[in-house]
Amino acid sequence: MTPLRIILLAVPLCALAQTAPKPENKFVGSLVCKTCHPDVWLNFNKNPHYRSIASGKEAPDKTGCEGCHGAGGNHVAAGGGKPTIGAFSQMTPDQALNTCLECHSKDISRANIRRSAHTEADVVCSSCHSIHKSPTPKFLLAKQQTQLCYTCHATIRAQFEMPVKHRVNEGVVQCTDCHNPHGSVAPTWRTGVSSAMLAPAHDNEQPCLKCHIDKRGPFVFEHAPVRVEGCDSCHMPHGSTNAKLLRRPVVFTVCLECHNGAGTFGRTNAGVVTQSPSHNMLDPKYQKCTVCHVRIHGSNTDPTFLR
Amino acid sequence: MTRNFLTILLAPAFLLAQDTVAPSVDEKVGPLRGENRGDYNIVQSWEFGYRFASLGGNSDKYRSDVNYHDGIRLLNSNLTVNSKDGHGRWFDEITFATQGLGNDPYESATFRVQKNQLYRYDLLWRRNDYFNPGLTVANGQHRETTTHGWQDHDLTLFPQSHFRLRAGYSHVADNGPALTTVQEFDSRSDATTVFRNIRRQYNEYRLGGDGEWKGFRFTVQRRWEYFKEDTSDRLTAATGLTQFARSQPYRGNTPGWMGNLYGERKWIAINARATYAGGRGDFVQNEIAIGTDRFGSAQNRQVLVTGNGDRPVVAGDFNVTLFPTGRLTIINQTAASNTRIIGNNFLQQFDNSTFTFNSLNFQFLGVRLVTNATDAHYRFTKRFDVFAGFRYADREIRSIEDQGSPGFPLDGVTGQQSNHTKAGVAGVNWIPLKNLRAHLEGEIGRNDNPFTPVSLRNYHALRGKLQYRTKTMSAGAGYQENYNNNSIQITAYSSRARSYSAEASWNAKSWVSLDTSYSKLHLDTIGGIDFFAGSPRSVEITGQQSVYISNIHAANIGLRFALKKYADLYVGYNLTKDTGDGRGSPFTSAITFAAPATAVAGTLASAQTFPLTFQTPLARVSVRLNEKLRWNLGYQYYGYKEDFGLFLYNQNYRAHTGYTSLLWAF
Repeated sequence: MTPLRIILLAVPLCALAQTAPKPENKFVGSLVCKTCHPDVWLNFNKNPHYRSIASGKEAPDKTGCEGCHGAGGNHVAAGGGKPTIGAFSQMTPDQALNTCLECHSKDISRANIRRSAHTEADVVCSSCHSIHKSPTPKFLLAKQQTQLCYTCHATIRAQFEMPVKHRVNEGVVQCTDCHNPHGSVAPTWRTGVSSAMLAPAHDNEQPCLKCHIDKRGPFVFEHAPVRVEGCDSCHMPHGSTNAKLLRRPVVFTVCLECHNGAGTFGRTNAGVVTQSPSHNMLDPKYQKCTVCHVRIHGSNTDPTFLR
Repeated sequence: MTRNFLTILLAPAFLLAQDTVAPSVDEKVGPLRGENRGDYNIVQSWEFGYRFASLGGNSDKYRSDVNYHDGIRLLNSNLTVNSKDGHGRWFDEITFATQGLGNDPYESATFRVQKNQLYRYDLLWRRNDYFNPGLTVANGQHRETTTHGWQDHDLTLFPQSHFRLRAGYSHVADNGPALTTVQEFDSRSDATTVFRNIRRQYNEYRLGGDGEWKGFRFTVQRRWEYFKEDTSDRLTAATGLTQFARSQPYRGNTPGWMGNLYGERKWIAINARATYAGGRGDFVQNEIAIGTDRFGSAQNRQVLVTGNGDRPVVAGDFNVTLFPTGRLTIINQTAASNTRIIGNNFLQQFDNSTFTFNSLNFQFLGVRLVTNATDAHYRFTKRFDVFAGFRYADREIRSIEDQGSPGFPLDGVTGQQSNHTKAGVAGVNWIPLKNLRAHLEGEIGRNDNPFTPVSLRNYHALRGKLQYRTKTMSAGAGYQENYNNNSIQITAYSSRARSYSAEASWNAKSWVSLDTSYSKLHLDTIGGIDFFAGSPRSVEITGQQSVYISNIHAANIGLRFALKKYADLYVGYNLTKDTGDGRGSPFTSAITFAAPATAVAGTLASAQTFPLTFQTPLARVSVRLNEKLRWNLGYQYYGYKEDFGLFLYNQNYRAHTGYTSLLWAF
């Protein structure tokens, strides 16, 4: 077969492949969307996204329905259908995330969203937020915050139903008081490995200190692990069967597990100091360490936290 | 160009666009909610009622765990006012919601008012009545009944513009009576209970703004924080100690600032943050104690302390996110922080008006932490993606503990510790079937010199989750384990936590739904301990171990029925049951005690496990009286039962609580 014949044969095939050009997908405006989606439109004036429509100044790709779903021209021409519009249910998680971040990436609270544990697990905006049918007037959550988090975190729910707990189910404390579901900055305590979703208080401190203001200090005599390793060295932050959310049912085992003098632990690198020989553990009064060491989180007057 | 002219011009375009529109088949038209008044739409509901509680058993433990009691309440309220076109005269949105007002132990209120383009103001107010008997941790000598209150106010000007101003105020306060203990006149005497009047207050003021320029946003915030405590302790008469008074006023302030820079392009995003907080606290303590010591000798002592503490903290983060292809994301974060805690005090102690003891104390604790984390996320297909990362942390802790008398050199104890953590993470997300998602991730880490015997040293974590979700139902199951081994030559410590969970919810019809979950939380830890015990004289005891075993089964189920439009019924049951290590009494023959301290080992054995049951069945019914009015009735039982009490205390209780209310919604 000569090259000329090949070309002659190929030309019609190429022409066949180049069928009519795809029509340009044009922006049609939110009022057009209303025609088929009146249920979405009816209450959309209560939606925070309505502000872009109310302003009347935004470009077509930054306002109304098409601000999130993309140009609707092809969708209208096709008589509807998810393949012709930017339907979030059809997007990959990172597509959904990037669509929302077009506008929402600039706030500090979401600055670390791309490295958050949620994003790594493909839990993105549309997993928790319901833009059109949210039951919450603020933040457009798909459910009330507590129930929303419990959807995936069943073990955390179990902890908040224990007898000793932070009052999350009672509605006075919220998950976001301590956590940033959009990803957090690197903490200044522990070694930066396991605290990925904690929201530091006052930019740098453990979130516990937002409410437990008396534990904040600075103290002349710091109980070093509180600052270095964090409150959860001794406490279970969500809920516990033990009093004061302690990791152990009795206080003395909490203390003795560290104060054993072994190794290179502690602030002097020579082991955490053992208890005094004057403490006889057969005497019940020495079994409740904090009865005497009342300022266990830090003291301004006594290095052993007695006053 | 007038608005009418624009409408005329655009109308044909809309008509043209609507030519090919087909009606949506899978979404129903919903009614417009609320009432229209002028330019606004208003939705509101108010629920007034009476709450009751009947209690048997340990009321202190009930107050600590639950704390609902009788009384008239505004149980809930909600109000939203929205402008219909986003152009309200003074505001475009008001939302107001309350919970538990009228002396519930958990009260809250939120309020937002905003005008598009111009301002937004948010208020969050909360109040928590806190009670703790402190029985097992402090013999009831630290009993506390306080009120904890929060307020957060945030105002944003020009919230939708490229230049925003922000101002805020937060207030936290603790107030109420409590007990505490003092130990006079030496470290072997008994602790004496004294009364305490807790008064603490924290105020924070914030001012800042955002600016946007060429795709970069810069944020700066200045904050001023003030903390003051005027708690005082007092006692009028007790055995041994006949008079005691202590005041220790504290004044702290923390000025700080934060700056953030954010920018994003098609293939890169950067985020940089820097903060500084300069905490400082000044204090005075005046304490006087009169009584007899443990040998019966008359004593009087006055202690005066003055001093201050500083804690400047500087922290910075720099994040770079790269998007080399549509499938690959690479993120690197570098962070550094430096915390310096510097404190000193001058203590004067006068015993029996003659002997005077003075000491000077200087303490320093510095923590410098540098971390770096790199993560890569690659999406192979729409249904399959993987991620992996490496984290590194370098921490240095420096410490100086100096104590001495005025005029003499300080006797310093200094220490320096550095440690490094290296950890790797990896995971996979997979959608094997439509609506079915699987997630698996693991982390393994090594710390070469942990700070405490219970810190992470050789650890790993595994997390797995399987979730099936459709429009009407969802079901999931998960597994997580966190293991840590921090054993060294002298002491052995290991912690193993495993949790299993399963949950399901089903919205079969609009009139029936089911929500249920089950979790098992297992924890076993073992740690080497060292202490003093014995009779008649205490001796150092090594070789014993602190063991803790917990096996918590937690379950909950909730079922909701709607009887057409006339009534809603909800029944639920929550259970927390710790089976411990299987024993039914504090002591068990299965545990062998190492010599020589059999009695002490027995004490340890009694604290190795703490089996208990906590269950809360509940039921609620809501009956429609007319279009705007409903009558509600709720009941919840709380049953708390310890298999054996700690230190022989019995804190079991059972409580019947409930409410009846009228809900007015329109």
